[in-house]
Amino acid sequence: MAGTDQLSAVFSALSDPTRRAIIAELAARDATVTELTAPLSISMPAVSRHLKVLERAALISRSRSGKWRASRLEAAPLREAADWIERYRRFWDSSLTRLDAHLAAVQAAGPATGRMVDDPRELE
Amino acid sequence: MKTETPQLVISRVFDAPRELVYRAFTDPDHLAAWWGPIGNSLPRDEIEFDVRPGGFQRWTEVNAAEPELRVHIHVDLTDVADGELLEGVMHVSGRLQQGIEPFETRLRVEFHDEADGRTRLEIRQWLPEHLAHPSEEGWRQAFTKLDATLMNVQAVAANHREVEAWQS
Repeated sequence: MAGTDQLSAVFSALSDPTRRAIIAELAARDATVTELTAPLSISMPAVSRHLKVLERAALISRSRSGKWRASRLEAAPLREAADWIERYRRFWDSSLTRLDAHLAAVQAAGPATGRMVDDPRELE
Repeated sequence: MKTETPQLVISRVFDAPRELVYRAFTDPDHLAAWWGPIGNSLPRDEIEFDVRPGGFQRWTEVNAAEPELRVHIHVDLTDVADGELLEGVMHVSGRLQQGIEPFETRLRVEFHDEADGRTRLEIRQWLPEHLAHPSEEGWRQAFTKLDATLMNVQAVAANHREVEAWQS
């Protein structure tokens, strides 16, 4: 029973485009009401109301400590997707930094390094 | 499927001509020199490229820091435009990090000319199907966990009330 109620709460929570936008923001990182208000261009009380709906659906949790309560994405499948994206973002970041260095090294070495010859006649 | 928005978009400019940046992705010796984080290496005899539409790029990744891992990458190239575009489906398998199951991810890399002989790389990547559209089973597991959490909360609250009743 609890499962069915939970599922309807989730679907009803996700039926609203603003709440889906909030979920997307929280997939990237935990955020406070203030941090969520800026990109959404709606009022802070409106964001708060949406967060309450998401919290009731257990899609997010909110930290109790301190003055600024950060919201966190909780639904496991969404969390897993966010973690995957974050892992690949780090992968590309470190790879492309190496690529940058590699391209610089190749160009510094100049066209004498066989494989980098642009004009095939130079190989002869 | 084809038109779905990619979940990961990366854009970066390199101080190198477009043909060279393209070769860095399509020449085995080049790719082995930079692919993956520092420490990652691609055994040369396990790199196999056939770069054309309908072709493939295959290689293996090992890392001295994690000798137990051996990752097989197999990209089925669906779309290739010489010097301009690589698109395909990347299959990741082998001995992966704990908790990571083999998966497939759609990947698109575009090479664009920029001013002063530089090149802009546009990378788009799509979430594996099971993460982009969690199965009913995926959701069920999530909610079973949530239900357990909620039941614990209720149990704690009930205990609390009993203690209060006993004290009064």
